[in-house]
Amino acid sequence: MSIVTIFIIAIAVVALWSIMIYNKLIHLIEATNNNKNQIDVQLDRRYKVYESLIEVVKKYMDYEQTTLKEVVALRAQAQKASASGNQSERVSAEEAISKIGASLNLVFEQYPDLKADKNALQLQEEIVNTENKLTFAKQSYNDSVEKYKAKSKSLFESFLVGVFPDKLMKEFPYWGVSDEQRKTQEDYTVKM
Amino acid sequence: MSIDWRKQLRSNERRTYAVISIFIAIYAFVGLIIDLYIHPGLDQLPIVQALEILLTFTVIPIATLALSTIAAISILITYALYDRIMLLGTEYHEITLNNHRSLEEQQLYNVIEELKIAAGLHYMPKVYLIEADYMNAFASGYSEKSALVAITHGLLNKLERSELQAVIAHELSHIRHHDIKLTLMASVLSNIMLIALDIMFRTIIFGSRSRRRSDNNNGGIAIIIILLRFLLPIITVLLTLYLSRKREFMADAGAVELMRDNAPLAKALIKINDDHMTNKEAYAIVYNATPHEEVRSGAYIFDPKQMGISMNQSISSIFSTHPSLADRLQALGFKYKNTSK
Repeated sequence: MSIVTIFIIAIAVVALWSIMIYNKLIHLIEATNNNKNQIDVQLDRRYKVYESLIEVVKKYMDYEQTTLKEVVALRAQAQKASASGNQSERVSAEEAISKIGASLNLVFEQYPDLKADKNALQLQEEIVNTENKLTFAKQSYNDSVEKYKAKSKSLFESFLVGVFPDKLMKEFPYWGVSDEQRKTQEDYTVKM
Repeated sequence: MSIDWRKQLRSNERRTYAVISIFIAIYAFVGLIIDLYIHPGLDQLPIVQALEILLTFTVIPIATLALSTIAAISILITYALYDRIMLLGTEYHEITLNNHRSLEEQQLYNVIEELKIAAGLHYMPKVYLIEADYMNAFASGYSEKSALVAITHGLLNKLERSELQAVIAHELSHIRHHDIKLTLMASVLSNIMLIALDIMFRTIIFGSRSRRRSDNNNGGIAIIIILLRFLLPIITVLLTLYLSRKREFMADAGAVELMRDNAPLAKALIKINDDHMTNKEAYAIVYNATPHEEVRSGAYIFDPKQMGISMNQSISSIFSTHPSLADRLQALGFKYKNTSK
């Protein structure tokens, strides 16, 4: 076999390999985008659930009036941050709504009438369901970000990313809590 | 955390084709043997020559063609009626988004919806609740789109939400790994003739009783049916050999991956096992009184055969298709102490 043939075969192999990696990375990017949308779907759903939830709980206590306003304000904040592309601000606003959800569940525990109410139990299940869906959507998103990052930063793959940065280089932040939030959560103690 | 379930998925696809091919091959083979005897003159010829005459269609191999057609129809029936066959004999009802009778049923639907998101499945599986006291669950279907998850009432009642989540995560992992396709094919195809026979057998018994006839013809058919009743389970054994115990470990691992926690699944498995142990006698009666239970035994999260609950005394009962509880717990990172003995 002449050197030219070997050279051509080598180029063909490298080209095929590049195409495979390229397609794989595009696939991972699209999967990540899809999972990101799934989070949006769940956030939207949660907002609607909370709105109707607070409407019901309101009958039992006026405390919730302020909570409703708070949720609406946080939601507006999150939407604004999302529109301007400020991911970290959006995440912190949504996390704050999650906390209200947890405190709502605590409210349920405090009111025996409420706990015995069948509708209230159903709503409590609805909160758990909503938060779980959101958590799992975030989990899927973070997993797909991890897969994409691990692949695109691997040796050899990263060369290809360097060649096509427009198509293959995407900045996906992990969905997590911000540093200030982590600080407050770390310092948190139960006050009795 | 990395479990290579995609490899498992590919192996399942291969095995499913193998199961289908073996199934058709067995039927064609039996047909060929029948053909060698029913055509006059063929049994006097050397076997190679006789086979040549049949396979070149010099003499049309009627039995081979007939049995191959039956095999093909069986496969089509499996695809068309898989959900009803898998639930055959049980009392069940479907739970949908808007059709749930209690908070618990709604919770079950919610849990499946949540884990569907976690598992990244594109279709919501159909949800069935089986009216039975024993704790068990299975998933089935021939694709993600056609998948179903069935839970017994006992399981729904006795597990906490997180444990229920773990069991559902296990079942959805079976769907994601395409275990359901292989299990469905292996368990339905190996049992489909038995099911048909049972139905025929009952009509003959009840039919002759009600009509009070005593002809010899029915007796002949009955003997053939009884004979087949013992021979057909050999196919069951052959096909269920393709169900490796690995699939349960993989689904357990998949459940932990989705839950990010190994404790709920371990707790659920122990609860199911202990519940079967305490109510062994009662459950043995219920399992045995439920017709066609052997179709589900390969798909269940917990194999009742491990408790010594045998299914209709068939020889396939000797082979459990599931790993032991101790092995499963060890794989999950727990040590099982048997406290009841």
